[in-house]
Amino acid sequence: MEIIIEEISRNHKLLGRHKYVKQSISIGRGYQNDIIVSDPHVCAEHLQLDFDGEHWIVSDLDSINGSYLDDSKTNAHQHIINSGDIISLGKSQVRIVFPNHPVEESVSFSPFESLINIARNPLVLSASIILFAIITGWIFYLNSPLKVTFTQLLVPAISMTLLFAVWPGAIAVISHLTKHDSRVMSQVGICFVFFNLMWVSDVIERFVHFNTSGNFPLIWLLTLIPIALAFCLFWFNCSIGFHMSARRRIIVASCLTLLLFGGSFLIQLSKKPEFNPRPKYDATLMTPAFMITSGSSIDEFIEDSSKLFEKVNKEAKKQQE
Amino acid sequence: MKGFITLLLLSLSSLSYATEQAEEIFKKLAPSLYQIRLIDNASGEKSSIGSGFQITADGLIATNYHVISGYARHPQKYKIEYLDHQGNKGSLTLQSVDVINDLALIKRTTENNMPFFSITENVPIKGEELYSLGNPHDLGMIVVPGTYNGLKKESFNDKIHFTGSVNSGMSGGPVVNKDTQVVGVNVATSGNQIGFLVPHDKLVSLFKAYRTSPPKSIKLQMAEQLAFNQDKLISTILNSDWQLKPLGKALIPTIDVPFLRCWGESNADKKDALILAAVANCSLDENTYLSSNFFTGFLEMEFRYMQAKELSDTKFYSLYEQHIKRAGPANKASKDDVTEYQCHHDIVAPKNDGLKRKSIFCTRAYKDFPKLYDVLYLSASLDKNNQALVSHFTIAGVKQDSAMDFSQKFMESASWK
Repeated sequence: MEIIIEEISRNHKLLGRHKYVKQSISIGRGYQNDIIVSDPHVCAEHLQLDFDGEHWIVSDLDSINGSYLDDSKTNAHQHIINSGDIISLGKSQVRIVFPNHPVEESVSFSPFESLINIARNPLVLSASIILFAIITGWIFYLNSPLKVTFTQLLVPAISMTLLFAVWPGAIAVISHLTKHDSRVMSQVGICFVFFNLMWVSDVIERFVHFNTSGNFPLIWLLTLIPIALAFCLFWFNCSIGFHMSARRRIIVASCLTLLLFGGSFLIQLSKKPEFNPRPKYDATLMTPAFMITSGSSIDEFIEDSSKLFEKVNKEAKKQQE
Repeated sequence: MKGFITLLLLSLSSLSYATEQAEEIFKKLAPSLYQIRLIDNASGEKSSIGSGFQITADGLIATNYHVISGYARHPQKYKIEYLDHQGNKGSLTLQSVDVINDLALIKRTTENNMPFFSITENVPIKGEELYSLGNPHDLGMIVVPGTYNGLKKESFNDKIHFTGSVNSGMSGGPVVNKDTQVVGVNVATSGNQIGFLVPHDKLVSLFKAYRTSPPKSIKLQMAEQLAFNQDKLISTILNSDWQLKPLGKALIPTIDVPFLRCWGESNADKKDALILAAVANCSLDENTYLSSNFFTGFLEMEFRYMQAKELSDTKFYSLYEQHIKRAGPANKASKDDVTEYQCHHDIVAPKNDGLKRKSIFCTRAYKDFPKLYDVLYLSASLDKNNQALVSHFTIAGVKQDSAMDFSQKFMESASWK
């Protein structure tokens, strides 16, 4: 009769799997056993499984620490095995299944798997990291009011790139610690693709801010772009690093996004002074080449600005009460 | 030699005669001169002091607005007290203010007619000797002699330029000529031996207005004065000659009025600067004091021309953006005085080939004075890749119509050469 015995860890991760076509199987620390368990709490001859023509029956061979069903205190001696039963011996566990044990449905390849494969391709990977470093250096160059040399830009570019590589690295470590495949390259590849997409979203945001007036009602939509990008990044992180159900992946990614944006929003809110004597306005400037709007006339601008007086009047009244 | 000695003796005797005469005069005036104190109700201690002088027999006293501003803004928090030359104290009531010229009328109760200062009818002549009086410490009356130097030219609201050291506790004290007639009121010092006085005619008109119709509410009176003064200022500016003058390769307006003072700066000497920058700034030389952290009535205009030296357009515009990021108001105001700013921004491109620019307009409302606002305007030219012109102005305590008329004219004025 065929029987499959899986050695599993305490949190039910598979350590080894054996298939036997025998009537009797012995488990113990001794080398004569069919399954050798190197656990000091297991006896040399600990457990025996016998097929009586109809059932498999467990016999504990008077071991010191005994054999129990799963994590319960139920003694496993003379127990009739059902497919999927787990027996604890010492500090180890084995799971016993029969060939007809049902298996879960096959999971189809995620359509994003090919994207992940492209991102972890060494060429693509190094290209996106270099692109990120170049953009970072360039932004440092643009914002520096003094003359800067190439080497002066190299330091912030490299340090920022390393700093941003901490995130995929940390996830890879966590998935490794939780007995998942770490897949460092995939994590780094996907992360840098998304970091670069964030730069693109920055440019789009600036472009829209620059070309629209204070009257444009949909400007808040722009903040959704980075939020959506962050959500996608976290979703990919989960899908690469951990085996989890689709629902759980969405929940984890949403929570991380909320933590990131909600957290930074809270920090901003807590730093906000009670009264700001300085005006807050949109100062985005881009070169004339980026200007696609025909703009307003002076009269239109004056008219639009006049509407502000109504607003501040209301505010003054509200605060007086 | 004999003649010389006679001359010396003569001059000595005339000198002692003058001193005697002055002593005589001021002895007579002493009962009409007070120290004015603002007492904090909660602590019972004085929170500010100044001087004041009686101008009618029935106890009306003139002083500076800024001496009693705490009471005018928060009547529940303070009370006003006087201290006379004999050390007697008594309470005072606020009757009327002129916040623009920094004057106030307060009143003490009196049973019999008291001596008082009479106000001159003639403007002093340049070089005339004047005496500034005050009661700054508990030492009694102080007399500071000085000279009348005419009206301050750069001032929108007239001020007398007085050479003599007016110190801070003498604020609100009278300045008299040798006939003991009041020609002005001490108001401010500007360092060594330079003082400013409110001319007597301002006091006369405040007094006359008070006699015909005393103000119903000090707050409303202040609001009206602020609005009226700023309207007068803006219409004077709008009706003056706006001439164009070059700043780098741009043309900026200059307004031909004496009370706007202009300054300039550039970094032409800095060889390693990435951008050549030249700044022209014109502003009013005075502002209106409302309380120690609330000033208004100010107006300033600033133009900054920038030109890239061997820079990419993108970098030039990136640095250009930093320059327009942090504009702020020019007048101090706190949470209790004003709302936060509300702003509008847009790209403005006039049909005729005026300056293409990004314009930002911000305003905040005064809480205690309805229909008065601080406004701020900022624009950045967008039609050249390596040259830029930032135009900026702020006006404090202005009505909406005046602010918008000024904005319109300001926006229409700058252009490229």
